[in-house]
Amino acid sequence: MYDGEFAAVVGPSGCGKTTLLNILAGLLPYRHGTVQVDGVPVKGPGSDRGVVFQEHAILPWRTVARNIGHGLELQGVPRQERRRRVREFVELVGLAGFEERYPHELSGGMKQRVALARTLCANPVIMLMDEPFAAVDAQTRITLQEELNRIAIATRKTILLVTHNVDEAAFLGDRCFVFTRRPGRLKATVTIHIPRDRRIWKEVVADPAFTARRDEILELVRAEVRVE
Amino acid sequence: MSSISVARPDLLRSARARRFWRHGGLELALVTLLALALWTAISASIARPDRYLPSPVSVLDSSRDLLWKGILPNYLGQTLWRLVTGSLIGIALGIPFGILVGLNRTVSEMCYPILNFFQSISGIALLPIVMIWWGTTEKTVFAVVLYTCFFPIAFSVLTGVRSTPRIYVNALRTLGASRLRIVRDVLLPGAMPSIATGARLSIGYAWRAVIAGEMLAGRRGIGWMIFSAQQVDRTAQVVLGMALIGVLWILLDRYVLRPIESDTIQRWGLVQR
Repeated sequence: MYDGEFAAVVGPSGCGKTTLLNILAGLLPYRHGTVQVDGVPVKGPGSDRGVVFQEHAILPWRTVARNIGHGLELQGVPRQERRRRVREFVELVGLAGFEERYPHELSGGMKQRVALARTLCANPVIMLMDEPFAAVDAQTRITLQEELNRIAIATRKTILLVTHNVDEAAFLGDRCFVFTRRPGRLKATVTIHIPRDRRIWKEVVADPAFTARRDEILELVRAEVRVE
Repeated sequence: MSSISVARPDLLRSARARRFWRHGGLELALVTLLALALWTAISASIARPDRYLPSPVSVLDSSRDLLWKGILPNYLGQTLWRLVTGSLIGIALGIPFGILVGLNRTVSEMCYPILNFFQSISGIALLPIVMIWWGTTEKTVFAVVLYTCFFPIAFSVLTGVRSTPRIYVNALRTLGASRLRIVRDVLLPGAMPSIATGARLSIGYAWRAVIAGEMLAGRRGIGWMIFSAQQVDRTAQVVLGMALIGVLWILLDRYVLRPIESDTIQRWGLVQR
């Protein structure tokens, strides 16, 4: 992946997308091949690779602000600096006013915003996302996808997103890596040339450049499902 | 609670009194009165109630005598002191032990049956062997209370640590947390509700162990009071001791242990609503 790229890994269920992500995160050992971040091979988890998980992985006994600042706390960033950066990311994900709330007081979409802000606030080299919007309702998902795009513009982060949702992959990805069914291998790479600032659902659905690419990915994925 | 509430009706309407009556206070008072009435009736209907079942009034009467001589406060103090020191130290040792064992799956699977084994041997069953070691000393009672407390809390904490979702641990690892920080930030707070519940359970067991220990090891306290009164046929004193044990436990549970437990669980937001 190149710097500042948004890559989407898409494939049928059970093809090992999450496994791949966990290997990249360093949570699982790998047998073959190499994983490198800026030329340094991956040995176990590290704060250079931030992860946003599928389920709610924010700590229920910490407030929104303390969850978001957790990474900085672990890095030993002084309190003043920490507070400043937390405020910045609270605003970025639109949670202003909820800093002192506990996760059980938030909706599913808001919890994922907290998880996203927590990962970004720790300032990783790359952000790995494992089906981050799979557990929220359809309307919230669309909003969160647009916001993630906005955040990608604002932070210029390198992001790798794993999803089984073709629309999501095509909407967010600069490049989409389509995987085969189990055992998952890279089947095709689809590049999507739509400027980030034009990626808004209302616009892209009317844009043939988007729909053509999306249908192409959809066909590739469906072919995999059909073989069964 | 406030004994002058009848004389001053404004106290009945105070926030505290209202809360008491609303939270089952009325039902509690009714049941207590009913039980006392039944007890009095049975006591009046049998031959030689002083020997077999003295009435509530005569039990109360016997406490006046003991109170006046200062024996009752002295005994109460000794029993509570043993309970507090023994269970505090037992809990203070049990929590870190449970966490340490819970860190590793293999270790915890090995220790689980051992902890379960010792948890099943009650303090009373342990007393004879401890008496062989240390005789009828303070050390014996203390050891039994400590033992009784240690295993239930260690067991609860172990279960609490093991049932903390792995995803929290993984999330912290990807944020770059060390092992120690994972214990501090995830496993310890994750086990907090189990710690609170386990502590309450432990102290409940310890309460029984203190009484049993005092009886068998012959150390002065409420347990010893019951035991020695039986030997000289002072049945009223025996019943008084039993009633004290029950009432003290209810007070301890309701005003100390339960609030701590529900507070931690609620504050942590772990109640399934």
